[in-house]
Amino acid sequence: MIESSYHIKNKFPKKNRIILIMDMFVSVNLRLCDMMKNSYLSMIVLYCLHKINGERTIYSILHLLNGKKSSQTIQDAHIFNLTTFFSTFPLLKRAELDMHIDILNKQGFVSTNAEQSYCVTSVGLKQLEEYFKPNPIPANLNGWKFHNLTDLFWERLSLAIQVISHLKNRNSKYLPIQKSKEHHKWLKGYLYKCKLSKDELAEKLYDELVACLETMDGLDPSIFVKRVTGYQIIGLTEAQAADQFDMDEEAYHIQFLSILHYMLEKVGTKQGDFPLLSCMIEDKKRATPLTESSNRTFNLLQMGYRLEEIAQMRKLKKNTIEDHLVEIALNIPNFDISAFVNIDKQKEIKMAINSVSSKQLKYIRELVPDVDYFEIRLVLAKGGEKK
Amino acid sequence: MKLEEHLKKYFNYTTFRTGQKEVISSILEGNHTIAMLPTGTGKSLCYQLSGYLLKGQVIIISPLLSLMQDQTEQLMMNGEKRVIAFNSFLTPQERKQALSQLNTYKFIFLSPEMLKSDFILNRLRELQIALFVIDEAHCISQWGYDFRPDYLKLGDFRRKLGNPLTLALTATATPEVKEELISSLSLKNWNEYIYSVDRPNIVLAVEVIDSYHDKSDRLVELVQNLEGPGIVYFSSKKMAEKMTIHLKQNGIDRVMAYHGGMEQENRVLIQQQFLHDQLDVICATSAFGMGINKENIRYVIHFHMPLQLESYLQEIGRAGRDGMKSIALLLYSPGDEQLPFQLAEGELPSEAQLDFVYHLLEEKNNSINDLGELENELISLSGLTEVQWRVVADYLFGNTKEPMQQRYVQLKVFINERLQVKRKKINDMLIWTQAQLNGCRRKNILKYFKEDKTIEIDDCCDQCGIDLTVFYPKTKNHKTADNFFDWKKHLAKILLVSERG
Ligand SMILES: [Zn+2]
Repeated sequence: MIESSYHIKNKFPKKNRIILIMDMFVSVNLRLCDMMKNSYLSMIVLYCLHKINGERTIYSILHLLNGKKSSQTIQDAHIFNLTTFFSTFPLLKRAELDMHIDILNKQGFVSTNAEQSYCVTSVGLKQLEEYFKPNPIPANLNGWKFHNLTDLFWERLSLAIQVISHLKNRNSKYLPIQKSKEHHKWLKGYLYKCKLSKDELAEKLYDELVACLETMDGLDPSIFVKRVTGYQIIGLTEAQAADQFDMDEEAYHIQFLSILHYMLEKVGTKQGDFPLLSCMIEDKKRATPLTESSNRTFNLLQMGYRLEEIAQMRKLKKNTIEDHLVEIALNIPNFDISAFVNIDKQKEIKMAINSVSSKQLKYIRELVPDVDYFEIRLVLAKGGEKK
Repeated sequence: MKLEEHLKKYFNYTTFRTGQKEVISSILEGNHTIAMLPTGTGKSLCYQLSGYLLKGQVIIISPLLSLMQDQTEQLMMNGEKRVIAFNSFLTPQERKQALSQLNTYKFIFLSPEMLKSDFILNRLRELQIALFVIDEAHCISQWGYDFRPDYLKLGDFRRKLGNPLTLALTATATPEVKEELISSLSLKNWNEYIYSVDRPNIVLAVEVIDSYHDKSDRLVELVQNLEGPGIVYFSSKKMAEKMTIHLKQNGIDRVMAYHGGMEQENRVLIQQQFLHDQLDVICATSAFGMGINKENIRYVIHFHMPLQLESYLQEIGRAGRDGMKSIALLLYSPGDEQLPFQLAEGELPSEAQLDFVYHLLEEKNNSINDLGELENELISLSGLTEVQWRVVADYLFGNTKEPMQQRYVQLKVFINERLQVKRKKINDMLIWTQAQLNGCRRKNILKYFKEDKTIEIDDCCDQCGIDLTVFYPKTKNHKTADNFFDWKKHLAKILLVSERG
């Protein structure tokens, strides 16, 4: 059956004739053209390749940029110092990444060292330096810390601004820019909880936004403000805004995200100064940034269950639970791993880690043959990112 | 209270548009009503205002998801929260909840598939139905382009609801379609309000252009010169995007593309920017326009030929809603008709796909009861689109009394017929487009809808003779984006400044 279905699939490709005909009308492939002039995303990919140093396949970058919540991806993000980029391009496709790699390869910025694995050449390194020196990656970008809050924060904030602007103008006939019923419901509760008059609300929100954005270093608040919609003023789309700032769309995207991350950091640490803004994400802040499954494992650990017991209870492989443990070690600062690797072994492993330049486990293990990979990964995780 | 006062109270308008008052009065007097009102004259207001003035619920059958979406949004924008739309967007959870509190809604929209559900029918029967509305009623006609097989169940559905007061709305329908509608609803007495499809303030013109390349140059020229705002329609998303870039490269700043493939947030923004005059031109697919109540659109250009005159009328009908002179311009290059023919074919399953589905079903003979599981497999293996699949499923699983083989033959006949209808419609469109020697375009399009052209119009069509420069702005005011931007001032404009001072 499987064989025959494969055959049939080829016979009736999903893309039908129409699409092909339309393609004929479109003479140039615009995207490919755009990419040839060192797009921002190509440079981000080059940067990531530089960081992983040929020790992972290029698809680990895809997972990182997509924000795949697997233990492997999360560990890689930490080990290779790439947490900032986690989940920054959730819609990036495999084929697009391949195209970027292809362009980098053709320009001699990378060379392949194994199947689907590339190293940055000296030309590539120089290119990286030249490209990011005048416009560095914003220091506020923090994909890993805020990945599950960023979209939500923007959707709620943009809706709140629009609605409050219309309330201020006593206009109730307009189309909400966010269509999700959940957001509408949230906003209703939010407005109620604020217990402020329409005018006070608008004024206070304005004050908080200005206070928050004013002190931002290295980023232009206009990048954010141009996107905002209010009474008789419709915000720009990401592409339009990028255009107005004469930026690559991806470069703009990173700057925009950085501003949101900056705001989240600021209102999160100074809740008292930003009651209206911090209240927007109050209900969604989780104590730990763990994936749901790891979180369950963590809870069971805290109840005193052993690794094997948890695997049995949760009907999961031991390997999976080990992955969870590594993720926990990465994210819970005071998590003690000595129950899984004793102190002496930890010392041994740390020495081995420091004496090899690579972060590939097999090289480390060659130096300490009596420990297993899980133990090395735990210690690596606990050691955090080597700066 | 006079109707106008109700209009003011509920919608804040002071006057009715052509036909609205007559239709609403007819409904309020308790008559089944058939209304053919041209596009752009506010058909939905007829059931909205009637609904407010009648006790009980208004049920609206609407054939297109996007249309339904727009209409519910319109109502909600007007402050009406008692609106629900039953369609495939609703999660089972939402649907269950909505059904359990059905009597709390005023306006209940149903997609045609819902007519098959006995469960929904039974819940609706518990309500006091004030008005039963059939939107886009021409979909009932098997000879129409938009034929929806589910619409054939309307008569039965309506009868089971106890023949509630009914309003059938459409923008374009020939007398035959009207007859079909009446007989399938088994109406004995009804009022009909038929208005001409003609929009005298819209000038009709076709330009024949030698090549595709010349066509894109001509488009730039037109957009540069014509007084906006305007819409340019394309048959493909890619072309809409490509020409947007082309226009921008030629110095036209305030232009954006709009199509169904865009993210929802961006779609809303672009649409709203256009409504608020932040954009002058939209390069769109037919996804754009429904529910856009922009009064001052001055031109509609078609870069590709639509698949039928009905759609053409609907799309150009978005121009000149304020009653001011506007122009509809169709750009035609020899061979352009190939694309519509391909598109029409693509909407239906191919013979090979049908054979494949049929043989697979034969193989699985007994497991047909388990359609749910089989469905995904069949769709993915045959490469049918969702719309195509619905046609197939309707025939092969809809009526299980007849043997499979017979249903399969019926399906093939049906698809063949649909294809013939569609080809004929494209041909009619093509003949109209190419009618250089056959005289007035307005007369020809009216003839197609079995109407006579009765009034003489000054700027009628390219055949009667027009001067395009009439549509050039008196003063050139090319708006460009201002360079200086003060973010605090902008934010203050949004949050601190109020029109009330
Ligand atoms: Zn004429």
